[in-house]
Amino acid sequence: MSERPHWNVPTGASPLPLEIRVHGRGGQGGVTCAKLLAAMFAEQGRHVQTFGDYGSERAGAPVRAFTRVDLAPITNRNKVYRPHHLLVLDAALLPSGSGDDVLDGAGPGALLLLNTARGLAAFTSSHDAFRVAAVDATAIARRHGIGSAALVIVNTTVAGAYARAVDLPWAVVERAFRSLGMDGDLGAAREAYAAVAVRPPRPGAIAPAPRVPAPPRPVLGLAEHVRDVPTALPTGTWRTQRPRYRSHVAPCSAACPAGNDVVGFVQALRTGGVEAAARLLLATQPLPSVCGRVCPAPCAAACNRAAYDGAVNVRALERWIGDRLADAGARAPLAARPRRFAVVGGGPAGLSAAFALRSAGHEVLLLEAGTGLGGVLRTGIPAYRLPLDVLDRDVARVLATGVDARCGVAIDGPGVRALAADHDAVILAAGLPRPARLDAPGASLGGVRDGLGFLDAVRRGERPTLRGHVVVVGGGNTAVDCARTALRCGAARVTIAYRRGREEMPAIPTEVEEALAEGVALLTHRQPVGFAGGGAVARVTLAEVEPGAPDASGRRRPVVTGRASDLACDAVLLALGQGPDPALVPAGWSVRGGRCMDGERPTDVWLAGDLATGDGTVAHAIGSGRRVAARALAAVEGAPVPAERAAPAEDRVTPAHVRFSHFEVRRPRPERHAAAADRARCFAEVNGGLEDASEAERCFSCGRCTRCDTCLLSCPEGVVSRSGDGYAVDEAFCKGCGVCVAECPRRAMEMTLDAEAR
Amino acid sequence: MAGRLISANHAAALAATLAGRANRTARGFCSGVYPITPSTECMELLCNQEFEKGEVVRVESEHSAMAVCIGAAASGARTFTTSSSNGLALMAENVVSAALLRLPVVMVAANRALGPPWNLWADHGDTLLLRDSGWVQFYCADNQEVLDTVLCAYRLAEDHRVLLPVLVCQEGFVLSHTTTRTEVPSQEEVDRFLPPLELPARLRDTPRALGGVDVPGVAEAHRAQHHEAMARVFEVYREVQDAFERELGRRPADPVVPYRAEDADLLVVSMGTIAVTAQRAVDEARARGERLGAVRVRTFRPSPAEQLAAIFRGKRRIAVIDRDLSLGFGGVLWGEVRGLAEPGAVVQGYVIGVGGGDVRPEHVAAVAADLAARTAAGRPVLMETGA
Amino acid sequence: MSEPSTVAGPSAETRPTPLLRPGNSNCGGCGMSSALQLFGRAVEHRRLQLVVPASCAAVTAGPFPTTSFGVPTVLTTFGAAAAVATGLSRVARLNGDGTRVVCWAGDGGTYDIGMASLSAAAERDEDVLYVCYDNEIYGNTGGQRSSATPAGASTTNTPAGKPEEKKDLLAIMAAHRVRYAASFSIAHPQDAIRKVRRALDATGFRFLHALSPCPTGWKSEPALGIELVRLAVRSGLYPVVEIVEGRKLVVNVEPDFSREALELYLSLQQRFQRSGITAERLAPAIARRWRELRAASGRILPAEREA
Repeated sequence: MSERPHWNVPTGASPLPLEIRVHGRGGQGGVTCAKLLAAMFAEQGRHVQTFGDYGSERAGAPVRAFTRVDLAPITNRNKVYRPHHLLVLDAALLPSGSGDDVLDGAGPGALLLLNTARGLAAFTSSHDAFRVAAVDATAIARRHGIGSAALVIVNTTVAGAYARAVDLPWAVVERAFRSLGMDGDLGAAREAYAAVAVRPPRPGAIAPAPRVPAPPRPVLGLAEHVRDVPTALPTGTWRTQRPRYRSHVAPCSAACPAGNDVVGFVQALRTGGVEAAARLLLATQPLPSVCGRVCPAPCAAACNRAAYDGAVNVRALERWIGDRLADAGARAPLAARPRRFAVVGGGPAGLSAAFALRSAGHEVLLLEAGTGLGGVLRTGIPAYRLPLDVLDRDVARVLATGVDARCGVAIDGPGVRALAADHDAVILAAGLPRPARLDAPGASLGGVRDGLGFLDAVRRGERPTLRGHVVVVGGGNTAVDCARTALRCGAARVTIAYRRGREEMPAIPTEVEEALAEGVALLTHRQPVGFAGGGAVARVTLAEVEPGAPDASGRRRPVVTGRASDLACDAVLLALGQGPDPALVPAGWSVRGGRCMDGERPTDVWLAGDLATGDGTVAHAIGSGRRVAARALAAVEGAPVPAERAAPAEDRVTPAHVRFSHFEVRRPRPERHAAAADRARCFAEVNGGLEDASEAERCFSCGRCTRCDTCLLSCPEGVVSRSGDGYAVDEAFCKGCGVCVAECPRRAMEMTLDAEAR
Repeated sequence: MAGRLISANHAAALAATLAGRANRTARGFCSGVYPITPSTECMELLCNQEFEKGEVVRVESEHSAMAVCIGAAASGARTFTTSSSNGLALMAENVVSAALLRLPVVMVAANRALGPPWNLWADHGDTLLLRDSGWVQFYCADNQEVLDTVLCAYRLAEDHRVLLPVLVCQEGFVLSHTTTRTEVPSQEEVDRFLPPLELPARLRDTPRALGGVDVPGVAEAHRAQHHEAMARVFEVYREVQDAFERELGRRPADPVVPYRAEDADLLVVSMGTIAVTAQRAVDEARARGERLGAVRVRTFRPSPAEQLAAIFRGKRRIAVIDRDLSLGFGGVLWGEVRGLAEPGAVVQGYVIGVGGGDVRPEHVAAVAADLAARTAAGRPVLMETGA
Repeated sequence: MSEPSTVAGPSAETRPTPLLRPGNSNCGGCGMSSALQLFGRAVEHRRLQLVVPASCAAVTAGPFPTTSFGVPTVLTTFGAAAAVATGLSRVARLNGDGTRVVCWAGDGGTYDIGMASLSAAAERDEDVLYVCYDNEIYGNTGGQRSSATPAGASTTNTPAGKPEEKKDLLAIMAAHRVRYAASFSIAHPQDAIRKVRRALDATGFRFLHALSPCPTGWKSEPALGIELVRLAVRSGLYPVVEIVEGRKLVVNVEPDFSREALELYLSLQQRFQRSGITAERLAPAIARRWRELRAASGRILPAEREA
């Protein structure tokens, strides 16, 4: 022990003899840190001595190491009790009260180098007798990948900071690191050398008095020891990161255009049954029986289970819920200050907007040009996919909330102005009623007709008699619907001609499969360039199409070649998409960001559904209707427009986050389908749905805790316990190893940096 | 005179058997044994005994023999093992552990030189290797003493003021294989003398780690406690002698046994059978008019320093005979006792009979003659007994 | 594979104190801790005495007079666990108190220095359950090779990677025809708990082997311990089997011999980096081992799964 006080050091210059004490935690490399310091001084020709306070320390437990520096050979071999320099590799080791041994024996002016995330400012008053240096070595070392996530090795980084704090030239650091073969860490050391902040001691400040050694306490004899004394080390202080229960975004929910909480309602179905699931589902989705039949189900396409043993059939589960709901819900009570809305168009977007606004307590007038509500659901989707009574039940549920719906009311531009004048806001959700035309010779021949019109006619009960070979042009659901309906109307043979490949068809893949099973032929990479026949079409000329450069959507633009061939046919159905009614938006108005503008003045007239987005699925329309309703309402009430942003990519649950081994391989539950031979000639519903709701049990519940107890059972410390409807982690003992998070099968947890203490 | 004609090995085995059976009303008896010359016959006889509540485990090494004793003792059983020479050396780490854990194991060693080069014969070097292991050590001089000392060892070891293991040493062949008339007490007598073992800290159901880490401060305290327990051995041993005498009608020998020492000009100090051979030499010297005396050190650990210092008072010439050699130093006993004599006294060390050399009274007489001629102590004298 | 949510966890309610207590000194993410948690869940109300030779687990016990183990424990010299356990179990049997004596030993204390006493206790059919938590390294002394260290792993005394292959301990124990010998996986808790209960309730000598990742010695992320064992099981590197009376071998978890799993297993541990040992180089030894296991299981050898 040095008898000479040397700690009044105005600069970083080191007095000799110099005694240094390093405090760290097992695994941080405190002993090597002390050794690096010794190497730096040895590089300058000093006598040095360095050693660790060896014990059976484990990763995280407090450890100490010492370095002595002198001009003369060092003879004493005891530990350092009056350090001139104190290095604290984890500032959480600093005393919370008095009596701790980290600062013990350090006099006024001693250098106190702290590895802390809190910066110098956090130590202004508490340690003002010392010359305090601060560096966030953990952050630097973590950036340089030294150690593991749970245990960052900060020794070399701190050594770099130390060198700067005591004015050692960088070249000395480099030589010392090289002499110990640690040059790999020089980058981190250099960063710390540059980053360390130092402040002088406050003159006259009093350092804590050295601890008076307590007299040894009587030690129980080995032969008398009979009591249980749990070890109970404060292992919570060893932690540099901590586990946290946090939901993440399931890919199904992220993919749902309607904005459904998909994982939520599937899990609710599993744990709470139909009623519980419906409560979640109806918050975003008034037409579950419809969507449960006709949605292309991007949720299932995104499902993390898809590549494992098959995606969860979410659509079928949605249908299961929708079909088991009470026929009509209750009337929604009015808000304290009900607003008045007009919704133009009774399709899915309009119904969704009306449902959302009426459910929120506002008055809604819903105007539909056609004879019944549902839009394309009623006119364009064949009964074998969507029976009318199913649609009627979903629509009835919307109306039951108290929506004032009127059919047979066509609205044009002046009508919109009138509605706007009479309502707080108007939502235009009139869809795309104008079929796209095909600009090809012979397109006006008899037997060439618009597919949607054909479907509508069939839907209305007409049974146009078809015979021979029917060619359907297009690749969307309307094309497939036309093809299958044509079969059911007597066509002997049906061919779909599509200008891209099968994989690129916008139609629901299972619908395509079912059509093929029913006997529909598919000709891809073909585009009609002419029709011929005497009065009625008898031939269609199909040109071959090659994929060209990708367009804005990323799909390769079809390039029509000169190679063409004729296909004999008896009828052609065109399903090439639709466009809006150009007379709907009042003359002189424009549309910007989904809102009608009167010159530069925003009006309270909004566009929703296909009219706004052109995305073309029921789910998109429903989502759009609800979101636009929320925006319109916010604008009316002068509230900020609710942002419905997509969750950040890093919050999504990807397959890499799912621990597949947790889950038994279990193939999707099949839906009951009528046999292709039986169904192809009638309009009875093809898909009979699921036999039970057990498909919900296949859901991984990505990002949502299911209380599966994996965290509790995998914790090596046994510090996770059930608490309320979740879990509690005993922070006094949790070492922050992260096993619970790594083992969580569904990313319902995460590790967060535990930097507060430092 | 009553008694049975048995070897010291058998005397030890019978004593262990009686002691083991005496614990049948408590946690029973458990012994781990492994053969090694010259202790083998002891374990063989033990393996032929019937125990109402006892086990003799034939293990694969001396190391495990002591380990079995440690486990059994921790569980509250009375334990026993026996070994020699390299067996003790292999066993050593567990020997130390048994003591540090304060387990009252009793072991009989048939002393034999360590090797290779192999040597089967008497030498105290094996048990003196365990000098600092924390065991009480007795060195015996005849078969009866072996039997009695083993019985006393249990009562001493198991006394709550002591709680230390005890090593009873008897020289290989010289005692182990030498048959003499030996009184073997009845089970009833032993039952009266030796109460059932109640180990205060025996392993029960309470979570507790026997042998967990002793950090420096705790280790210091535990060593001090161990040392204090050693210091209580003589006091407790006196009570054991009294009880033994009460129940079995004879008094076991004291820790230090002087022989015609009071008026002696020359003293010969030794352990084991050399010390009784020395008594024969003393008698012969006295017959010649030489005032020779002898001192037998029976309790080597704890060190009987006070008893020896009292005997040494006023003595000017003391010879210490060791049947062991601390190479580069001299006899171990000599090293321990030479500081106990008065200032100016000549305490000369002699090493005789290592590796089984046959020590006869004339060797002791030669020692006495050499000592009488000395005015100052010199380097230890290594005497060869010849083939 | 596993569905741990179906394993009852009788920690707080049915046991007054867990087998391994919070606030112990083990490194975060210690595989031995995981194995102890599993083991403790299986123990339930059984009376237990633990015998721990020199090892990390001996330090786990804690400084005198504390203990991190929820049952009475004896710490022994390095090679003596099975013999000390013999003493405890013989006396337990003499007194009929139903205590189950369990050795909890590392690979050093089992494969190496403790092999003689282990073998002898097995041969004597002592009523002892011997558990080897195998972290494939002398962890307590700072990470030296043991005969359980796998080929290619760097340790402080085989810095370039150990050239020799790991000793097949389970086969050695099976050759003793012990009552029950099994390996269990901390990633397969249902199987593990079943085995521990079976082993605890059998009489005579039983042996359990548990691969126990050592984040410090394996230079792996502490969080990934259970996952590493899962990969070792999947790849066939760590067979999860049980052998009754040394004769009937049953494979409890079928590996898929995934090369990807093996590659991941190696790449997640820095100890394999320096030697550059590859999945390709390990595959023949794994295949050979499994041919032996299949033969011992009495099953017709399946076709090689991996080309």
